[in-house]
Amino acid sequence: MDFIAKYMPNVVANWEGEYGFVGAIQQTLYMTFISAIVSGILGLAVGLLVVVTDKDGIAPNRVIYSITDKLINLFRSIPFIILLAVIGPLTKLIVGTTIGENGALVPLIIGCFPFYARQVQNALVQVDPGVIEAAKAMGETNLGIVFHVYLKEGLPDLIRASVLTIISLIGLTAMAGAVGAGGLGSLAINVGYQRFENDVTILATIFVLILVFVVQAVGDLITRKVSH
Amino acid sequence: MGEPIIKLDDIVVDFKTKDQDLLAVNHVDLTVEKGDIYGIVGYSGAGKSTLVRVINLLQRPTSGAVQVNGQNILSLNDAELRQARKKIGMIFQHFNLLNSLTIEQNVAFPLRTSKLSKSEKKKKVDELLELVGLADKKDNYPRQLSGGQKQRVGIARALANDPDILISDEATSALDPKTTESILNLLRDINEKLGLTIVLITHQMEAVKQVCNRVAVMDSGEVVERGEILDIFAKPQHPLTKAFIDTTTRLDATLKVIYQQENVKNLPASDKLIKLSYVGDSTDEPLISTLYEKFNVSANILYGNIEILRGTPLGNLIVILTGAASDTEAALAFINGQDVQVTELDPKAQSEVID
Repeated sequence: MDFIAKYMPNVVANWEGEYGFVGAIQQTLYMTFISAIVSGILGLAVGLLVVVTDKDGIAPNRVIYSITDKLINLFRSIPFIILLAVIGPLTKLIVGTTIGENGALVPLIIGCFPFYARQVQNALVQVDPGVIEAAKAMGETNLGIVFHVYLKEGLPDLIRASVLTIISLIGLTAMAGAVGAGGLGSLAINVGYQRFENDVTILATIFVLILVFVVQAVGDLITRKVSH
Repeated sequence: MGEPIIKLDDIVVDFKTKDQDLLAVNHVDLTVEKGDIYGIVGYSGAGKSTLVRVINLLQRPTSGAVQVNGQNILSLNDAELRQARKKIGMIFQHFNLLNSLTIEQNVAFPLRTSKLSKSEKKKKVDELLELVGLADKKDNYPRQLSGGQKQRVGIARALANDPDILISDEATSALDPKTTESILNLLRDINEKLGLTIVLITHQMEAVKQVCNRVAVMDSGEVVERGEILDIFAKPQHPLTKAFIDTTTRLDATLKVIYQQENVKNLPASDKLIKLSYVGDSTDEPLISTLYEKFNVSANILYGNIEILRGTPLGNLIVILTGAASDTEAALAFINGQDVQVTELDPKAQSEVID
């Protein structure tokens, strides 16, 4: 404790409370967790929609495919820091506020799910078309093919894509933090950087890194478990 | 036998894109009888894969009629089509197994929606794995299996719903010759044991020779020749058929070597270089010795090849007839009178393709 008190005096001063490290870690985990779940569901659905309606998909539909595909591109093209500001009114409508960790959820989800949808698409097009054809030849329904072939055969790639997305989501929470969302990003910028309390910035960074490593390690573990 | 189980009428499959119009299947009729093993042979791009995909409507024809098991497949709705597909098993060149499932789960996959109870399904899967000789591999994953073993799993999976028809799409093309033979033998076994009708597409005439009763030869979306395997091998008409048969007899390559031999190069005008082809026990008398006794013509056999197709011998001999000019002519006329096909060969036309 003495060591920390000596070399990281500002960390000790900023440890507890809503605006301290304890609160920041909780907020980052909260934002990451909720947006990961919601973006995960949305991204998976949209990604599947694109794969299925593609001209080589199991239910080709040019109109749905091109609209979805263009929307994904559109949302992915808006820089996140601008997206935060642009969709302010929408955020206010949905969660009632544009600040704090709840205010960050809407932009995080909108910033993240198109990215994940593209990752899902990339993962699922890797599924051997021959296996899809075999399933069709066996009299499988389209829904059966989605759940029992695409999602099952694509699982290792989907998990890799999810890890990548969660890690980039942690990055986004930090960025959202800089404009009032709270969390480790907010602590690092608003306290560490702007008050020249470098030890706070460094420790906040270390916590973010630990979070990323844990996500990566868990992802790798699961991938290894489901790959045969 | 005799009753048609697959009837394709005037099938056209036209892949139209912006830049080109590819006629993959061009007005093809095809009838396969119940219990038959029907081969469709052709080079890649000939349209054979597209044609067989019309049978289970993995490929919808641009025009034409498709009857399978007495059902007009084109008139079925989605649910009925899925039901019909369960009765048409299919195996593939690259096996197309689910890598995320064990062998047992792969074979059980088509039974997912079946009405069988859990224990009946398990019994069925065990029987199928027993049939293809992979009972001990059921908990393995496809990646741990060899190509031949994977194809056996593919066959077991294709048989899960007790189909009437099995479509084999280049199923042995990715396998080595020995494995190919064992897979073909398995198909023949299944055909005999279960009375299953098999449609086998391949570019290997060797495979056709081994298992098929009938064969159709396809080129550029058309069937150029078809018939009983023995007729096709004995008297091929189309150049492509001849080329395919040559891949199994290697007669062409043999001839090239023979044409290089000194005695053939310097063949006296009175002598004749001929090819004799016969099916079954064509001649009542021993032909070669008769030539000598009756015509005083000696026959020097340069090359001989006899194969047994569906229990019937099929022979090719390359022979030099030596004797006086009038005698060899008379001998030729005599052979022609027998049930033996005679082709005179000209050693000087080195590039000649034998028929």
